[in-house]
Amino acid sequence: MTNESAAERRAPGWSADRAKEQHPGKKRKKFRVFSARAGMDLPFFFLVMTLLVIGLVMLFSASYASAEYTQGDSYYFIKRQLGFAVLGVAAMIALSFFDYHHFHKFAFPILLISIALLGIVLVLPAPSGVHRWIVLGPLGQFQPSEVAKLAVILMFAHLISLNFSKMDTVKSGILPYLLILLPVCALLFKEPHVSATIIVLLLGGIMLFIGGVKLRWFVGAFGAIGAVMVYLVAFSKKLNYTGGRIEGWLDPFSTWQTRQSLYAIGSGGLLGVGIGQSRQKYLWLPEPENDFVFSVVCEELGFIGALIVIALFVMLVWRGVSISLRAKDKFGMLLGVGLVLQVGLQALLNIAVVTNTIPNTGISLPFFSYGGTSLVILLAEMGIVLSISRTSSAEKT
Amino acid sequence: MAKGKTVRTWRRTVLIMALLVVGGFGAVIFTLAKLQLIEGPKLQQLATDQQLKDTTLTAKRGTIYDCNMKELAKSATVWDVILEPAYITDQDRDLIATGLSQILGIPKDDIIKRSQKKSYYEIIQSKVEEDVRDKVLKFKTDNKITSGIRLEEDYKRYYPYGKFAATVLGFTGTDSQGLAGVEAEYDSQLTGTPGRLVTAQNAVGTDMNFQYEQEVAAKDGDSLVLTIDEVVQHYVEKYLAEGLANNNVKNRGCAIAMNVKTGAILGMAVKGDFDPNSPFTIADSAKAAEIAKITDPSQKSQATQQALQEQWRNKCISDVYYPGSVFKMVTGSAAMEEKLVTETTPFNCPGYLQIGDRKINDWKTFGHLTFAEGICNSSNVVFMQVGQMLGPQLLYKYFDAFGFADKTGIDLPGESRSIYITANNMTPVDLACISFGQTNSITPIQMITAACAVANGGYLVQPHIVSKIIDSSGNIVKTASTAAKHQVISKDTSERMCKILQQDATTGTAKSGYIAGYRICGKTGTSEKQGQAKGEYIASYCGFAPEEDPQIAMLVFYDEPHGPNGYYGSPVAGPTFLAAMSQILPYIGVEPQYNSDELAKLDGKAPDVTGKSLDDAKNAVAKANLSVKVYGEGKTVVSQVPAPGKSIPQKGTVVLFTDSGSASQTVTVPNLVNLSLSEANKKAAEAGVNISITGAALTSSNAFSSLQDIAPDTKVAPGTVVTVTFSEKNQVL
Repeated sequence: MTNESAAERRAPGWSADRAKEQHPGKKRKKFRVFSARAGMDLPFFFLVMTLLVIGLVMLFSASYASAEYTQGDSYYFIKRQLGFAVLGVAAMIALSFFDYHHFHKFAFPILLISIALLGIVLVLPAPSGVHRWIVLGPLGQFQPSEVAKLAVILMFAHLISLNFSKMDTVKSGILPYLLILLPVCALLFKEPHVSATIIVLLLGGIMLFIGGVKLRWFVGAFGAIGAVMVYLVAFSKKLNYTGGRIEGWLDPFSTWQTRQSLYAIGSGGLLGVGIGQSRQKYLWLPEPENDFVFSVVCEELGFIGALIVIALFVMLVWRGVSISLRAKDKFGMLLGVGLVLQVGLQALLNIAVVTNTIPNTGISLPFFSYGGTSLVILLAEMGIVLSISRTSSAEKT
Repeated sequence: MAKGKTVRTWRRTVLIMALLVVGGFGAVIFTLAKLQLIEGPKLQQLATDQQLKDTTLTAKRGTIYDCNMKELAKSATVWDVILEPAYITDQDRDLIATGLSQILGIPKDDIIKRSQKKSYYEIIQSKVEEDVRDKVLKFKTDNKITSGIRLEEDYKRYYPYGKFAATVLGFTGTDSQGLAGVEAEYDSQLTGTPGRLVTAQNAVGTDMNFQYEQEVAAKDGDSLVLTIDEVVQHYVEKYLAEGLANNNVKNRGCAIAMNVKTGAILGMAVKGDFDPNSPFTIADSAKAAEIAKITDPSQKSQATQQALQEQWRNKCISDVYYPGSVFKMVTGSAAMEEKLVTETTPFNCPGYLQIGDRKINDWKTFGHLTFAEGICNSSNVVFMQVGQMLGPQLLYKYFDAFGFADKTGIDLPGESRSIYITANNMTPVDLACISFGQTNSITPIQMITAACAVANGGYLVQPHIVSKIIDSSGNIVKTASTAAKHQVISKDTSERMCKILQQDATTGTAKSGYIAGYRICGKTGTSEKQGQAKGEYIASYCGFAPEEDPQIAMLVFYDEPHGPNGYYGSPVAGPTFLAAMSQILPYIGVEPQYNSDELAKLDGKAPDVTGKSLDDAKNAVAKANLSVKVYGEGKTVVSQVPAPGKSIPQKGTVVLFTDSGSASQTVTVPNLVNLSLSEANKKAAEAGVNISITGAALTSSNAFSSLQDIAPDTKVAPGTVVTVTFSEKNQVL
């Protein structure tokens, strides 16, 4: 225990803890910026690239009508997204060579920056009534919530890996995390950005669960969440708090966007109407380039196409988790699982929203939805997973 | 311990992943399968409904031509002004309403109200003309209104000649559907097939500007070429209307002119008709005024409906009536065909015939007379006897063979069935009455079709009004068959009956239809109406010409005449036949061939004496067997009436004017109606006008004038020729 405490005090001295747990007796390694002890995990890399390419193609197909109408240029969205994709892939490859252990050092600063950004965005003018974006002139808009997600995963991985054996205590297993989650979620909720709040909460919870927090906490949390949800569903009309989302969910044809999404999905049938042939994207679907890109996928590629896309996400999660579980240390494992599950969770929630499986919240579909910040950050995160894969003992192919 | 915790982490990670994949993705895959595979078709339908904009492309309705390709009914492009409330913004609303209200004359409040409806399509005014469309377009561009007002092409039916041939043409309703006449009968051919323009639309209702457009072009309607000849129709209508006024006819009149060999209807008119450009207006102003006075709304609408139905009704094919003596040509032909009688078969008419306990009177006691004389005198007793000779079976056989038992099948809507007694149900009284045209009710079109069979060598033809259907590029789609249905009587019988009927129209009861130079065959008819209208009569005249090779038959029919000429067929209907046929026959190329009697009475041509000295002029006029009257003090003739070469009656007066002052003199046309020939001549001479005689006066001494072409009290130049029609005032059935 004392050794562990000493290691903790040396934070971000990651290797002592890891070395002690997994490679006792091995000497501490030399510091280096790039770690390329082994090749990166190619299946994961190709899964990412496959999803990215399909995502770009579908984004182009889904967005050109709305780009024509709203921007006067059918290539508006795809041109920008392609640029960000190139940037993101470069970042991914660079980060795959970058020794992820350095993120121990960055975890806290990134969290602080993230909280600062979330604070800034609240005081900036919000033309559409929500404080979500920081306008960066010609570069477009920057979405601090994307940074917040990464910051929380990073911070949690960092803290849990250091306190791994004490995770079943309240002091080390619960309190610090609540102290992180509370301000982040409060700021996100203030924007308001419900979906980001939910994702951050879910990811935080998952990481704590994996990290070893006692089950009873989760039972309590699930109970509380369940009670809140039942309350919201039962009294949604009276409360007028959820902005009609619950009613919309219960009666999908009463709200425009859900109805249009279901029309698009239904129109696809088994084989789809063919790529580029979607009719719902002609302004029927709200933001077909964004949250509802998957509806266009379903319409154009049909049930089969949708299944393939879902399968790619499942494989990505599977491979990512496999890599992470074989990581050489707790930090890598937790960080990898957190990042990969974030992708899986976002994909799941987005698809669940467009199919009206859950009430509507604005969640974008990774690799598919238009959005520069999120794509670059997402690919960067995949780069971190690839970096972990270089140290992982997962089979290299 | 640490190892155990790591294992727990692995286990928990796998658990989370399994939850995510199986629970999460499993659930969405399940939803997707449900949406795409089970509810797919339904959702797709809903999506298609909103995505596809289905615009109907109106097909242009075909044109209706007369036989010389004159347009009697045509469609022209008009526009519907459409409001699209969904695309009208609040700031535009007032502007649009004000503008449209000014252009279209619709109250502004109405437009505002309609613009607030939850709709994409409100027809604010339909079928506006080009000038209004231009105003709307200008208003849109001037005010930069890009959405909310739309103009849609439509067609409107025009009848360029107004009431002309209205009964035949019929009319169309607001959706251009044919409601009467050939418009209704040939509605499907005229309508064509409307096309569809299916465009994919985006959520704001404009077309998706990338692709997807499917057009099924409208197929314009076929056009009709009628057998109606505009010129024949014109004369038929003109003289029918004239006769209607002269005879104070209460229940309208109708006339049909028909090619006896082909069954082509050359003219068909009903007077008391309507203007197909505004068919829902009561054309009879007296009746309209009467209805306007009714205060009770339900009674008013009932009366209006009744008046409209009446003016739309085609009497020629929808009315059934007792043909009266006209039917004798049928009974007579049957008896001659069966060789039961010849022209010279003797009959005796004591003035009545006793049938069982009924004593049926003739209109005159004729004593002994032949069969031919029986027709020419229209003796009922003779025909009752002819009927008895035929017996019920043969009479019914010919009734059927002449086409009276079935509808003629003319291509017009609303043909009525005849009402008749079959052979087995015929009592002796029925037999007797049917023989002279009472008891059985038939339609005018049946009667003239039977008369055509008598005229054309015995063939029952198919009356028809459309000769050709041509498509929009002028190709013939269909040509009417002119083949006869069957032969009713032999050529010999037909020719002999024609001779008798010619005699009738020359010296017999039908001579009111006599036209000098043409061998007219004719038969008059007067029938008493039964039932509610008992005491009212129908006067008709049915004839054809020329006797040696009949070309055209005409039936004139007045329902309930109450004029100064009485109600008999000869004085009431005969003059109309005469007036119309004397114009139609030369028009269709039948040249007059005068016999010497006719030549003697024929009008001559006024000699050209203008510019000659007065003495020379007087000599020239005297040489032409005309008398002279001089106005003015000059020595030379400056003008003359009638003008050189113009028609002047035998022994007429040429008026010569010798100075310019005298040329402006006028005389007043006297009333020349209801006079004998000599009285009319005298009155005309006193008044200083010439009189030209037509009708029965040329062959009969017992004729009275019934019509004059220039109304009494009209101021005319001295010597002007007034044409006076004479008819016999005999009481002829």
